[in-house]
Amino acid sequence: MKKAKQYLEGCWHAYFGFENTKVKVMLPLYFLVCLFFVCVFVFAELLLDILREKPQEADGIDSVVVVDNVPQVGPERLEKLKNVIHKIFSKFGKITTEFYPEADGMTKGYIFLEYAAPTQALEAVKNADGYKLDKQHTFRVNLFTDFDKYMTISDEWETPEKQPFKDFGNMRHWIEDPDCRDQYSVIYEAGERTAIFSNDAKEPITAEERARWTETYVRWSPKGTYLATFHQRGIALWGGEKFKQIQRFSHQGVSLIDFSPCERYVVTFSPLMDTKEDPQAIIIWDILTGQKKRGFHCESSAHWPIFKWSHDGKFFARMTQDTLSIYETPSMGLLDKKSLKISGIKDFSWSPGDNIIAFWVPEDKDIPARVTLMQLPSRQEIRVRNLFNVVDCKLHWQRNGDYLCVKVDRTPKGTQGVVTNFEIFRMREKQVPVDVVEMKDSIIAFAWEPNGSKFAVLHGESPRINASFYHVKNNGKIELIKMFDKQQANSIFWSPQGQFMVLAGLRSMNGALAFVDTSDCTMMNIAEHYMASDVEWDPTGRYVVTSVSWWSHKVDNAYWLWTFQGRLLQKNNKDRFCQLLWRPRPPTLLSTDQIKMIKKDLKKYSKIFEQKDRLSQSKASKELVDKRRAMMEEYRRYRETAQQIYQEQKSIRLELRGGVDTDELDSNVDDWEEETIEFFINEEIIPLGDL
Amino acid sequence: MNVLTGSADNSCRLWDCETGKQLALLNTNSAVRTCGFDFSGNIIMFSTDKQMGYQCYLNFFDLRDPQQIEDNQPYLSIPCNDAKITSAVWGPLGEFVNAGHENGEINQFSAKSGEILKKAKEHSRQINDIQTSVDLTMFISASKDNTAKLFDSTSLEHIKTFKTERPVNSAAISPIMDHVVMGGGQEAMEVTTTSTRIGKFEARFFHAAYEEEFGRVKGHFGPINCVAFHPDGKSYSSGGEDGYVRIHYFDPQYFDFELEA
Repeated sequence: MKKAKQYLEGCWHAYFGFENTKVKVMLPLYFLVCLFFVCVFVFAELLLDILREKPQEADGIDSVVVVDNVPQVGPERLEKLKNVIHKIFSKFGKITTEFYPEADGMTKGYIFLEYAAPTQALEAVKNADGYKLDKQHTFRVNLFTDFDKYMTISDEWETPEKQPFKDFGNMRHWIEDPDCRDQYSVIYEAGERTAIFSNDAKEPITAEERARWTETYVRWSPKGTYLATFHQRGIALWGGEKFKQIQRFSHQGVSLIDFSPCERYVVTFSPLMDTKEDPQAIIIWDILTGQKKRGFHCESSAHWPIFKWSHDGKFFARMTQDTLSIYETPSMGLLDKKSLKISGIKDFSWSPGDNIIAFWVPEDKDIPARVTLMQLPSRQEIRVRNLFNVVDCKLHWQRNGDYLCVKVDRTPKGTQGVVTNFEIFRMREKQVPVDVVEMKDSIIAFAWEPNGSKFAVLHGESPRINASFYHVKNNGKIELIKMFDKQQANSIFWSPQGQFMVLAGLRSMNGALAFVDTSDCTMMNIAEHYMASDVEWDPTGRYVVTSVSWWSHKVDNAYWLWTFQGRLLQKNNKDRFCQLLWRPRPPTLLSTDQIKMIKKDLKKYSKIFEQKDRLSQSKASKELVDKRRAMMEEYRRYRETAQQIYQEQKSIRLELRGGVDTDELDSNVDDWEEETIEFFINEEIIPLGDL
Repeated sequence: MNVLTGSADNSCRLWDCETGKQLALLNTNSAVRTCGFDFSGNIIMFSTDKQMGYQCYLNFFDLRDPQQIEDNQPYLSIPCNDAKITSAVWGPLGEFVNAGHENGEINQFSAKSGEILKKAKEHSRQINDIQTSVDLTMFISASKDNTAKLFDSTSLEHIKTFKTERPVNSAAISPIMDHVVMGGGQEAMEVTTTSTRIGKFEARFFHAAYEEEFGRVKGHFGPINCVAFHPDGKSYSSGGEDGYVRIHYFDPQYFDFELEA
């Protein structure tokens, strides 16, 4: 090392020696040498660039994809086929060449497409492979080079490389809040700001707040994991502790969405994107992979969601003219490869507890109207109920699927008016017996207790609206427990845990609220939130929020927080408040036994909770007292300074008012003279008669 | 003892309080919006609206110079090019005028030179009313942005804010307690459905130091346009769109009331 160093130093001195003559000659020479090397370098680079662009056989092949299962068409439909292919595949990049091999005047059923770059070809394979063009044709897309690759695959197994894991953190972070606060989303400033708050009885705690987070409104997924926001180009899903963007789905002009109950799929609807060849009005997406699973036509979105999911997410179905189409996941294909022909089908819905569909068909000449319960996937009809003189039916399932109520509007023979019956199907009993409850008035609202066997009905006509509560008993009877008359209500809101509920008179009824305990049917509290447009229970059934949305009323936009008993806790005014949605909770992880144990020991737990509450209360009042003390001190100090200046200015004031001291509030009482004056008003002579 | 009045009949008039005789008439080109005497009572100011092609002006007359009144020539006339003046009060010693504008700004105009001595941009919407404390050291501004704010008259320092959910039309400072009263409400033509309940429009009382509301008085069934405390602080009155003036005397609990601190 030392020797090398010495040698280099020697060279250095040789070339840059401090002898002038040597420098004079050596330096310019050195400079020329450097310049020469630089030129060579640059030239080499340019050469390499040009060489890189030289068309190589390998390059061209990398950008080619082979598409199989393409429809075989004759020359008259070739142009149309090419347009469809072009439309689907030009999404991934610029198609530079296309080749449709033919045989006997028809296309062979597979085509070659060349893109401008290999990356685009990869995109095409990633997204279009498995694309269902129609019932008989599902595209298989592969890179041309893959054929080569797979043909020369080695017999040795090589473990594929692991993709880097995209860690979004704990997606259930909000559930771990030690004080068990639920979250809710608030849209305000007419949609400009969206915020997520944690609900605390004292005041809401901001978890996240963003401007222009969504362009219209937001939706939570059924188990609360994701928040969906709407944008012109599609929807975005956010989640985790910091609400990072989890996934993005591109669907131009999307206006409505729906989640599958298991949170595996999301369905988006856009009225803009629909053509005959390429149904894109409704798209079903896989949330975790971000893949587009299938596209569907849609004539109208009047009754969203068009696709109804079974409770476990295994099936989804939709109704079209005389047809019920049931699809299964994850293949997204029709169950048994065909739809059900049900002539005249008017409405259907899934049981929220089992894979059973209820649907009804109106009268057809001699055949009466009927409601049918069908088990899936067997398609066995487990119950059919005939109904006569039917005008309309509505299906109401109890939240656990224990009961189905069919509200039947009928015009009995020989009468003009419409009467309503409730046909109650007892789903848990053998052969599903049906009981009937007859109603005399017109029905305004109906709602099942979420996990119980009671239901509430609002009936009658304003101002004589009645609220009736019924209990579906085990002995085959349906008992009317209580009826409240002259109610100001047009909507029923049960607590998600049952037993408690709110009867509300929204919008035109000026926000009248009644809090009811249905265990003994008592009115716990009657209150009012003037012009309330919405009522939302939190997922635990502890709190109720009533709100006045800017979308329905332009003043007093706010949301109020009440306890389940009807005690008002907070009034939160928000500039142009639009919407509040509670974040749903995932199903409990506790077993029924564990829940029983907790309920038994509730006294022990409630002591601890009460202590905690008292501590936080006193802390809050102490904070408030401290805050007030500080504000008063500050104010006093200001007033003292002001008073001082005032006193100092006294001489100026005297001068301005010509020497008269007007600083004292009272006028000089000593200057006043009090005088009492009597003056004559009237004379009246009243004869007293003889004494 | 004189009274000064300004009106939309494009004039400002001076009256004798005892006899009711009109002492002076000053014609203007547009409606007179606000007027007042300085502390000495010798100088008057009034502002005219931006109307019919005429600018908004803040005019000053010295009553000790009768020539100014005769010729209708103010000794100082300040033009306001942007937002017109909606309300104005004199400073504690008559050296300046604090004026509130249509855009929420408050400017302090010198009564001698006419230049702007200080500015305050605290309100986001129109200032509806400005009233001073009894010793003129501070004033409260009521604004359409749903708040009323307390300022120091000389420094224009923003001291307190009182928040409501309705536009505030008028506010006043109690002469003897640390209280302020505010009245307001939505204008009838700006709201599609007003509350049909009688007496929904309320006068609201706030604690001046804590900025917290501690009381409301119902009774008006239209927006309240003006509130004022009696100089002895034992009563207040309010005038509303419903055409009623209400006078309330405070009961003993009002004077004993204290927020926990």
